[in-house]
Amino acid sequence: MTIQFRTYCETLQQIRQTRGNNAKTRIFAECLKSIERDEELQLAAQFIGEGAFSDLSGKRTSVGSRTSGVAAATFCEIDYDLVFKPCRTATGSSSETISRLMENIPAAIEKRSLVEIGLTDIQELFDRLNRAKSRTDKEQILWESWGMMTPVEIKFFIRMLSQGSLRIGFETKSVVSAIAQAFDQDPEEVRYAHMITGSLGKTALLARQNRLDDATFRLFHPLAFMLASPIESRKIDNLHDYIAEEKFDGMRAQVHVKGDQVKLFSRDLNDITSSFPDIVNFFRQKEIPPTVLDGEICLFKENTIQPFQLLQKRMGVKKPSQKVLQDFPVLFIPFDILYADSEPVFHLTLNERRSLLEKLSDDYHLPITNQFEIHHIDKIETMFTRAIEHGNEGLMLKNRLSIYEYGQRRKSWLKVKKPGGSIDTVMMYAHAGSGKRGGTFSDFTLGVSVKDDERYEEEFIPIGKAYGGYSDQELKELNQRIKELTVERYGPTLGLKPGIIVELEYDDIQVNKRTKAGYTLRFPRFRAIRKDLGSSDVNTLKDVEKLYREKMAQQRSAQSEHLSFLYKRNDSNK
Amino acid sequence: MIIEKTGYHGLYFPELNIAMDGYHPDAEAIFVSHAHADHMPRNRSAHVTATAATLDFMRLRGFRGTSTPVPFGEKINVGSAEVTLFPAGHILGSAMIYLEHEGGSLLYTGDYRIPPSPASEGFESPDSVDILITEATFALPIYRWKTYDELTEDIRGFVSDSLNDGYTPILLAYNLGKAQELMHLMAPLNHPMMIHGAGFKLCSVYEEHGINIGNYITYDRDTCKDKILITPSSALAKGFASNLSKTRIAYCSGWATNESRRTQLTVDKMIPISDHLDFFELIRFCKELSPKKVYITHTPNPDVVQHYLEREKIDSSFLDFEMNMED
Repeated sequence: MTIQFRTYCETLQQIRQTRGNNAKTRIFAECLKSIERDEELQLAAQFIGEGAFSDLSGKRTSVGSRTSGVAAATFCEIDYDLVFKPCRTATGSSSETISRLMENIPAAIEKRSLVEIGLTDIQELFDRLNRAKSRTDKEQILWESWGMMTPVEIKFFIRMLSQGSLRIGFETKSVVSAIAQAFDQDPEEVRYAHMITGSLGKTALLARQNRLDDATFRLFHPLAFMLASPIESRKIDNLHDYIAEEKFDGMRAQVHVKGDQVKLFSRDLNDITSSFPDIVNFFRQKEIPPTVLDGEICLFKENTIQPFQLLQKRMGVKKPSQKVLQDFPVLFIPFDILYADSEPVFHLTLNERRSLLEKLSDDYHLPITNQFEIHHIDKIETMFTRAIEHGNEGLMLKNRLSIYEYGQRRKSWLKVKKPGGSIDTVMMYAHAGSGKRGGTFSDFTLGVSVKDDERYEEEFIPIGKAYGGYSDQELKELNQRIKELTVERYGPTLGLKPGIIVELEYDDIQVNKRTKAGYTLRFPRFRAIRKDLGSSDVNTLKDVEKLYREKMAQQRSAQSEHLSFLYKRNDSNK
Repeated sequence: MIIEKTGYHGLYFPELNIAMDGYHPDAEAIFVSHAHADHMPRNRSAHVTATAATLDFMRLRGFRGTSTPVPFGEKINVGSAEVTLFPAGHILGSAMIYLEHEGGSLLYTGDYRIPPSPASEGFESPDSVDILITEATFALPIYRWKTYDELTEDIRGFVSDSLNDGYTPILLAYNLGKAQELMHLMAPLNHPMMIHGAGFKLCSVYEEHGINIGNYITYDRDTCKDKILITPSSALAKGFASNLSKTRIAYCSGWATNESRRTQLTVDKMIPISDHLDFFELIRFCKELSPKKVYITHTPNPDVVQHYLEREKIDSSFLDFEMNMED
């Protein structure tokens, strides 16, 4: 029997309405079990966890929320700006809005007739959307698709299209558990097969066919990155099992090398090879055996790791010019090895992987992070201070007995960081939240004072937008206060009188010429709502400029002067 | 006709010296459409005119002034104008205020519900009117309500399933109106109900006006297990039924149609039962009444209503009130 997309979406909706992970997993395991055809089983596992296309395919439908919104407005015969947009603001979700309009509006109800469509038909529709070049073509395919669907199908169809979360409280980890449960396999083996294949569809199929052992790692297919938890969030009682490394102010990357073939992948598993021809050349010259390395791309100039702000000149630049390459040279500093000498090694302990990495670094003169023993918990503070003095971001603590836990954020890796700083700001605008915060004002634009600044005429100008760091209770109170302070309304945005003072914490200050202030904060979040302060206590733009200058002028020691990483270049032309 | 704002969000008609849902010092008469806090005058010792049920609720909620009760459909004279109350279907006692004078006629809806709440006196309106002042709380086409039959099935199904599975059902609902409407719909289940104190004191008014709201007592923490519990959501954070380990919670409100509310409240069931009319009923009602002018109040989206009324060739504008997000 083949599974209808309708039945599948009703299962998704049922998972959404069920509380408790075990109950959700049971429902999906039953669904997987009921599917007979291999192709449909693969799609069922892929659609729920990865979306319209498998993560590995690199394919996108390229249907943005505007395209689907405009197409839906036309389908429902309503005005996009006047009617659709306020509806989307009220729900905080484009897909939910579309599905409800489809359900309610007579013109849309008339155009829909229920056609039986299977999962493979849906895949065909996604493929056609992927091939369609123009917005008009995409619209045609969307209309045709919606014409055959119920509102629930339409909602999930759109969520799959955007490759985002289906918002049913059922993420990759749960899909993996459901696969194990459905086909009576060891969850650890299923997880491992998923790590190797990078595909939920293939994993489900291997699990059903009892062939989980077949899962093999393939070079040039990125492996999900292992992630670190903030040290504050975890209780650690076996600190002697950990070693420390300094955390560089760079960009995480995975390098795959085989002969003169080199590929780089970013943390979100995108191929970023073309942005870093200098790293590609570096590895081509080395002639190392087939290898996969995990590490950090840093801007390395004058023998010193430069601030992240400068590395940004290289990020996202597809084909950097010779001048950019010369002015902003980068270095890839490995700290882990996942594939050595044509063998996957991520299942080995960190200690064992480290030996392999050290040998490779010795043999081919690759840079390598330095590891420090933690003899006593008090040493962490000293090591952290030293890392900051070196110009680095902080510390990483890693359990030496841990395997490479792909795609997970557990306590085998811990990061020790300190916020870049905090400033007192005034709330200028409140924006309607989206997703689970739909219907409340949860995103806030915060400003600094330019009252006495001859360059500006206004009193305050925006410095950053924050949407976190407050508690649910604080958010409730903020929403109450905001009502009283609102003076203007621009669609989903409220303009506020100065009255709410927020101590804003950030990771870093960056120059951004496109903003009014000329600066933006990296990862701004609430530290405290300062009821004790008034709008005259708000920091000025000049304060921000001073903080930036101090940060850039901060002494960074040269690589040769300290040991955050080792790099013997003198005979690097081996 | 001149329409002014008065009080928190009331109306004042200076040519007729009539105020509605708000206090005005020069008013010859102050009409109150219904007893929700955002419609009662802030001045607690004024003289007000309203239905008997509305006056009963007002006194229980702290009103201390004098009053004139008026039955639905009875014309009363205020100066040169004649005023009639029509049942609004929103909650018990809720009225639309219909005003006739030499310049023409006007209907102020207050909050209203079509089809009417089964725990109200029903819904009736004049056949035609020159000026309509209407609320538009749910003024977007994403809002279309299920029928009361479907909603009743949802509510009873949720309660029975929970009890059968060994869970105590908790319904989150506003103290006045929604709570008693749910009790009325659940009465045929013949299962004991417990209602939060603030709502409990209002229940007797329903019974005095002949509405069956079943077998109920006031909430008692020690004995609330396995009863049907009804409370406003704010009480949950203050420990309501927190001694029970097995509960299932349903959020009962028009806003329950919005998915984001589920995660914001962490509830098991969303029951989109509203005491306001939905978008489609609103447009249909305006069309049917076809007034010369429609004023829209109580909405964040007047533009959308205006856009649809324009298509029906009905002239409209926005009367800017603060929005009350309590359903």
